[in-house]
Amino acid sequence: MPDTQALVMTFLTSLKNATARQTAELLRSVISQQRVPYTNQAGALIDAVKAVGEQLIAANPVELAVGNIVRRVLHIIREEDLSLTTAAIGELNLSAVSDDENDDDRDGNTTLSAAAVAAAARSTLRPPSLQTLLEDTPVSAAVPQTSSSGAADKSSRSRKLKHDVIEAVNELIQDIVTCHEQIAEQAVEHIHQNEVILTLGSSRTVSEFLFAAKEKKRSFRVFVAEGAPRYQGHLLAKELVARGLQTTLITDSAVFAMISRVNMVIVGAHAVMANGGVIAPVGMNLVALAAQKHAVPFVVLAGSHKLCPLYPHNPEVLLNELRSPSELLDFGEFSDCMDFGSGSGSPLLHVVNPAFDYVPPKLVSLFITDAGGHNPSYMYRLIADYYSADDLVVQRRAIAGN
Amino acid sequence: MWHRSASFILDKNQNDTVYPADSVTLTPPPPSSISTPQNPNPNLNRNMSMSAYYQTRAAHHGVVTSDWLAQSQEAATRAVATGGQEIVDGGKSGRAFSVIDEFNNWRKQPDLAEAVAAIRALAAVIRNSEAKTMMELEIELKKASDSLKSWDTTSISLTAGCDLFMRYVTRTSALEYEDFNSARSRLIERAEKFGEISYKARKIIAMLSQDFIFDGCTILVHGFSRVVMEVLKMAAQNKKLFRVLCTEGRPDRSGLRLANELAKLDVPVKLLIDSAVAYTMDEVDMVFVGADGVVESGGIINMMGTYQIALVAHSMNKPVYVAAESYKFARLYPLDQKDMGPALRPIDFGVPIPSKVEVETSARDYTPPQYLTLLFTDLGVLTPSVVSDELIQLYL
Repeated sequence: MPDTQALVMTFLTSLKNATARQTAELLRSVISQQRVPYTNQAGALIDAVKAVGEQLIAANPVELAVGNIVRRVLHIIREEDLSLTTAAIGELNLSAVSDDENDDDRDGNTTLSAAAVAAAARSTLRPPSLQTLLEDTPVSAAVPQTSSSGAADKSSRSRKLKHDVIEAVNELIQDIVTCHEQIAEQAVEHIHQNEVILTLGSSRTVSEFLFAAKEKKRSFRVFVAEGAPRYQGHLLAKELVARGLQTTLITDSAVFAMISRVNMVIVGAHAVMANGGVIAPVGMNLVALAAQKHAVPFVVLAGSHKLCPLYPHNPEVLLNELRSPSELLDFGEFSDCMDFGSGSGSPLLHVVNPAFDYVPPKLVSLFITDAGGHNPSYMYRLIADYYSADDLVVQRRAIAGN
Repeated sequence: MWHRSASFILDKNQNDTVYPADSVTLTPPPPSSISTPQNPNPNLNRNMSMSAYYQTRAAHHGVVTSDWLAQSQEAATRAVATGGQEIVDGGKSGRAFSVIDEFNNWRKQPDLAEAVAAIRALAAVIRNSEAKTMMELEIELKKASDSLKSWDTTSISLTAGCDLFMRYVTRTSALEYEDFNSARSRLIERAEKFGEISYKARKIIAMLSQDFIFDGCTILVHGFSRVVMEVLKMAAQNKKLFRVLCTEGRPDRSGLRLANELAKLDVPVKLLIDSAVAYTMDEVDMVFVGADGVVESGGIINMMGTYQIALVAHSMNKPVYVAAESYKFARLYPLDQKDMGPALRPIDFGVPIPSKVEVETSARDYTPPQYLTLLFTDLGVLTPSVVSDELIQLYL
C-alpha cells in the first residue's frame, strides 16, 4: 500500500489539473496493487477504492468528474463480481446435479441458497425498485462462501475478478479518451447547410464537433461569445479561422442582441447533474435564457464521464468555485479600494469571480453524449446504467466482522 | 357525471333526473359477502356519497367536525343493531372473517399507512385461509383484494398496496423449490415486514430531503402528510433553522393539527388561510407536500388545494417537492381534474346552505408533472419523468 499512498499524494497535489483519465489511471494502479483475500474479494476491492476515492473527492469536491470516475469504478467492480458469481453458480448447479448419491440435503440446500443468493445479488446491483420492494434484503457477504467449493475454483476466481475489473477500467479509460471523437461523429446529424451556430468560451468537445461537421462539407458560420473574464472565446475563434470557418466574435453582453440571428446554440459542460441540470462556465445561464426566449435549440455536449449522479440542491453556491479577482481587475489600479487597513477593517470593494454557472434542465433542449443524443429528463437512465445506488455517498463504512 | 357543457341550465335539468341514479351507482354494489354495517356510505347520505379514505384521514388528522360526529354516531347505532347479521354465506366469509373488518381495524391506527393496513389485512386472509395449493390461495387473495378495492374506490394507496402484494404473490409463487407451507409462511412474514418497510421508507425519504432544507429557509406545507412531518422532524433534530408556513387546509383543517405538531418541535410556524398562498409565495423558498397517490404521468393526487399551490409556485419559480413512499405509485393516468373517480367530503360551512346551492365537495385534485420539481421516495430522489419508468418496469 505505501506505493499507492505515494501515488495518491502526488495526484492530490496536482489536483488542479486533475482529469477524469488521471483518476481512472490512479484507481487502476490502486486495484492492481491491492492484495485481495480469497473470500469476498469484491468487498476488499470496493473498500480500497472507496478509501482512495474519499480522499480524492474531499480534496476538490467541485471537480465532479473525479467523483464520477470513482463511482464508475465501484460500479464496475460490483458488476464484474456479479457476472462471475452467476457464472460460478451456473457451474455449481451442473456439478450439484451430477453427484446425487450422498448428501442429498446438502446439495439441495446449496442449490437453494445459491439460487436465492443469485437472485439477491441481482437485486443488490439494481437500484431499489417497486418490483423488489417486498423482497428480503440480501446478505451480501454470503455470496462467495457458499458458492465456491474447490480450492482450484477459488484461486482461479480470485485472479479472474481483478483481471476483469482492470480490463473494464481500461475500457473506461479508452472511452474517456475517445469521447470527443464519438460525440463529433454525431455532428453531421445536427449541423446542416447555411446554419449559424453560437457558442460561448472554448470547449474542446465543441471545437472537435464543429471541425467534424466542416470535414463533411457542411457550410456554416459560428458566433463565438468571448467568455469573460478568461476570454477563451478568443482562442476558439483563432482555431476556427485556422480551419476555414467563418467566425464572428462578440462580447457576452451582446448575446441577447445577436441570438435572433442564430439557428442553434452548441456548448460544452463542466458537469451534468442527475436532474439534467448543467454546470457550465460562467455566462452560460444567460445564453440559455436568451436561447429560450427566442426558441433557439440549446444543445449541450458532454462525455459520459461528466455525468454526475447527484441532485443539486444549491448549485450556484456549493458547486461553484470562486476564482481570483485579479482576472477581473488590475490590482495596481484598485489596490486602495481593496485595502483591509482602511475604515472598519473591511474593504468597500468586493470582487466576486465565480467560475461556474448552473443551467436548469428546462432550458436545455438536447444532450449529446458519446452514448447518443438525449432529453434532459432521460439523464437518470444513463445514471442507472453507469452507477450503483450504493455508491452515491463514497464513504468507507466501519465494518464489523468481515 | 360528465359535466362538460357550458350550458349549466341544461345540466341542471339533466342532473335532477340523473343524480339520484348516480348516487346509487357511486356507492359500491352491496355484494353478499360483505357485511353491510361497514359500508362507507351510510344510507343516510345517499345524495352525498362520501369517500371513506378522506373520512379516515380527517379522523386521524383533522379537527373533528360536527357532521362527522353525527355520521359516526349513525354508523355506531346501526352497527349495534345489525351486529348479528355479520355471518353471511360466501367463500371466505363463511368463517366469520371479513377482510373489510380486518382492514378497518388496522386502518384506525393513525400512524399506519393505508397500504400497510391493506397488506396486513391480506396477510390475515392468508392466515385464515384453508387453501392447500398456491393456486387456491392466489384465487382467495385475488377475491379479497378485489373486495377491498371495491369497498373504497377512492383510495389510491389502498389499490396500489393491494396490487403490489398481489404482484409479489404471483411473481414468487412460481418458485419450484418451495413447498406450500413454507411459501405460505414466507408470504405472511413478508406482509408483516411490510409495515417495517413502510416505516423505514419514511426515514429514507427524510434523509434524502435533508440536503434540500438549508438554514434560513421558509417552507410552505399543505395538508397533513406523515412523511412530510417526518422530514420536518428530522430537519429540526438536525438543528436546522427554518420556518414553516402552513395552510389551514379546509375542510379538514388539517393544517391546524400540523401547526400543533410543529410547535411542539419548536419550529416557527405561521398559519395561513388557503387563499393567502399567493400573497405569501414570494417569501417562500420551497413547497413541500405529501401525496395520496403518484400517477403514471409523474403527477400527484393530493388533498384539494395542492394543484393551486403548485401553479402559484411554478409561476413564481419556486420548487415544489413531493415526499411519497414508492407503494403509492399507481397505474392511473388522469387527463384532467375530473378524470379520476370522485372522492367527496362534506363541507361544514358553519351556517346552513340553501338546498339549491351546489357545493363542490371533491376532496382531492391532480397536479400535473410539469409543476413538480422533484419527488423524494424511498427509491431515491426522482424527477417526475422517472416515475413512469418505474411503473413500466413493475408491470412489464
